[in-house]
Amino acid sequence: MTDLIIETQDLRKRFGKFDAVNGLSLAVPAGSIYGFVGPNGAGKTTTMRMLTTLTRPTAGEAWVAGHSVLKEPRAVRRAIGYMPDEFGVYDDMRVWEYLDFFAACYDIPENNRKRLIDDLLELVDLTHRRDDMVDKLSRGMKQRLSLARTLAHDPSVLILDEPASGLDPRARVEIRELLVELAKMGKTIFFSSHILADVSEICTHIGIIEAGQMVAQGSMQEMRSQLMPHREILVTVRDADTAEKALSLVAGLPGVVNVQRLDPRGGRSRLRIDYTGDDEGVAAINQKLAAENIAVLGFTEETKDLEAMFMRVTKGVVT
Amino acid sequence: MIEEAAPLIEMPEEALTPREHRLERGAAVLRWGAIANTALSVLVMLLALAGGLRLIPDLFPTLHAALLARVAAPDDAAIAGVILLTQVNISLLLVLMVGILAREVWALVGVWLLALVNLAAVAVFGFTPALLTVVFAVWSGIVITRDTGAFRLNPVMLKELRGRMRGVRAFFVLTVYLALMSSFTALLYLVYIPVNRATGSAAAGEVGRVLFMGIVGIELVLIIFIAPAFTAGAITGERERQTYDLLRTTLLPSPSFVLGKLESALSYVLLLLLAAIPLQSIAFLFGGVTEGELVLSFVVLTVTAITLGTVGIYFSAITPRTLTASVRSYSATLIGAFVAPIVASIVLSVVRTALGLSSPIIEAALVYVNDFLVSLNPIATALTTQELLINRQVVGFWTDTLASNGSTIPRVSPWITFTIIYLVVSAVLVVLSIRRTRKVEG
Ligand SMILES: Nc1ncnc2c1ncn2[C@@H]1O[C@H](COP(=O)(O)OP(=O)(O)OP(=O)(O)O)[C@@H](O)[C@H]1O
Ligand SMILES: [Mg+2]
Repeated sequence: MTDLIIETQDLRKRFGKFDAVNGLSLAVPAGSIYGFVGPNGAGKTTTMRMLTTLTRPTAGEAWVAGHSVLKEPRAVRRAIGYMPDEFGVYDDMRVWEYLDFFAACYDIPENNRKRLIDDLLELVDLTHRRDDMVDKLSRGMKQRLSLARTLAHDPSVLILDEPASGLDPRARVEIRELLVELAKMGKTIFFSSHILADVSEICTHIGIIEAGQMVAQGSMQEMRSQLMPHREILVTVRDADTAEKALSLVAGLPGVVNVQRLDPRGGRSRLRIDYTGDDEGVAAINQKLAAENIAVLGFTEETKDLEAMFMRVTKGVVT
Repeated sequence: MIEEAAPLIEMPEEALTPREHRLERGAAVLRWGAIANTALSVLVMLLALAGGLRLIPDLFPTLHAALLARVAAPDDAAIAGVILLTQVNISLLLVLMVGILAREVWALVGVWLLALVNLAAVAVFGFTPALLTVVFAVWSGIVITRDTGAFRLNPVMLKELRGRMRGVRAFFVLTVYLALMSSFTALLYLVYIPVNRATGSAAAGEVGRVLFMGIVGIELVLIIFIAPAFTAGAITGERERQTYDLLRTTLLPSPSFVLGKLESALSYVLLLLLAAIPLQSIAFLFGGVTEGELVLSFVVLTVTAITLGTVGIYFSAITPRTLTASVRSYSATLIGAFVAPIVASIVLSVVRTALGLSSPIIEAALVYVNDFLVSLNPIATALTTQELLINRQVVGFWTDTLASNGSTIPRVSPWITFTIIYLVVSAVLVVLSIRRTRKVEG
């Protein structure tokens, strides 16, 4: 078992009679990029607020970087950088002053702050906006500045609530690249999102939450195999005879659950192979076909994307 | 006036670093000092009561000799002085305690200064209870001076001042304020001179005094309106801008947050007060005003600003919206400093006429209650203080003669009781605001 940097046990948060988070058990391994996905109102923000010590759980426990959020809130705060879903702007501040202020709040000595601010601005590519007023920045820039702020005290965990929401595609890509870069620097990134494409492209782990409960979580690999019991390989050949030959050849191989002829498309015959093996197995099938002189026009694995996975798990509630 | 503030502060339950641990220890020592002083002042009050009711014979001279030996004053005045000075020490200990937790440089200096001043009070006045404060202040001073690096410029204050002083707004406010004050002064002069001519007595001192009182009066009114307005939005503003949560996930201590907000607002108000001093000095040209009046008026103005600023901070901490916080601050000020004392003093005068001049004890009690009520209101305090200064040359303590039997009682100029009451209220409100901002939502 890898080290868990965020762990919750049966975490609950109740607002009046409504359970916003209902027995959630999270496990975020150190060094991972963890996508926390769920439909609106699933309880993502509430969970994050409990992890950042802003809200006290109704029941259950949570540990961040080995510290209990209930008993050692200050140690938790030192370990995390938090970016809420709303960007908090001080309208009367310059970019560098904004970072300087938060660095001072983390008790970073004044002598070190100038260097720190320069480094942070460089990291999020805002060096040229150093002396601009914060409220004049574009939304994407604000989001990057916000990210820089979370890094001021060099925390080991970043807790980011919808870091890409409301951004245009370009800004979204920039944020995504930044997250990957930060992960390379050794930070654990725990972020929530609706945007599944973001999650599937950069995450190493995901957790899916719905109605305050964890529906599924694990590494991307585990999730795929758990939710998609087999991979699907699509083979395209020239004609029906070849297809028949290929079918009888593949059907007997270990790991092949099912082989099915699909309707021909563009005059070409197609087969779908449901396979449970690993990558080597897939390669072996390909080689076998070649060895038997079956002319293969196309051999592709259908990547079942997260969207489908998500729709399946959340029963289509998601937007 | 029983001190209640001491038990209010709760220490943060978790110290992370040796530095934080040390600061908390330094603050805790001062808290014990405040508690010890509270116990002492209660004890002195009980003894004074016992002595006053003649339960124990010759207690007053004994107490005077033990507690304030070197001051040649009537025994009862000396004992009243001891109680007041102890209250001053309690307030200062509390303020310094909060200052240490907020890591303010002034707290580091202040602790040693407090020890020094108290030591001097022992030496000069024979004020022996000060030894208690000396012990705790030195103890705390030793604890915190080992790590002077912990004390710093308050980041919140710096941030607020940067924002407040940027652009033309701050100077616009200052200009409007000075313009208002100057035109008011000119108006007062123009109105007063003809009136004065008509009555025939053209004493220049009279003109100077009227101008001075007019300026101080308008300043007081302005401060009463400005101070809460500056602070009522301090914490609610952070909530409304969604920056409050950001701050709370940092390691910024709650005392730094609250004090930083207060300091930045007060430093601006102080700037306004200082800017008006040249105007006040015009009154000197006409004579009739002393430096004492200038200093005391400045004290009353500053204390008013501090306390009303703190009232704003407090309501800002416990209210979700700025508008509600402002309304509540003004209402609390209006009720606490104006409505309640005025109603109470009307009731008091009714009671006085009903009772007549029967018993000296009742008369003395009524005098003290009246003094207390005057001390609740900054304007009444300013007027009474000035009246005492001019007519009786009284700055601090004085001896009054009762009408009922001709015996004497000690009395204090209201600016002293006013300062103590207002500062204690401030300290309590600051502590309550800190507790509130430290709280995690349930
Ligand atoms: N302070 C509160 N008082 C009452 N109900 C609340 C409070 N905060 C959140 N809720 C409710 O808890 C549920 C979960 O909210 P939460 O904000 O955690 O969802 P979310 O997953 O972050 O949703 P979104 O994707 O819209 O951001 C919602 O139904 C919300 O209305
Ligand atoms: Mg949310």
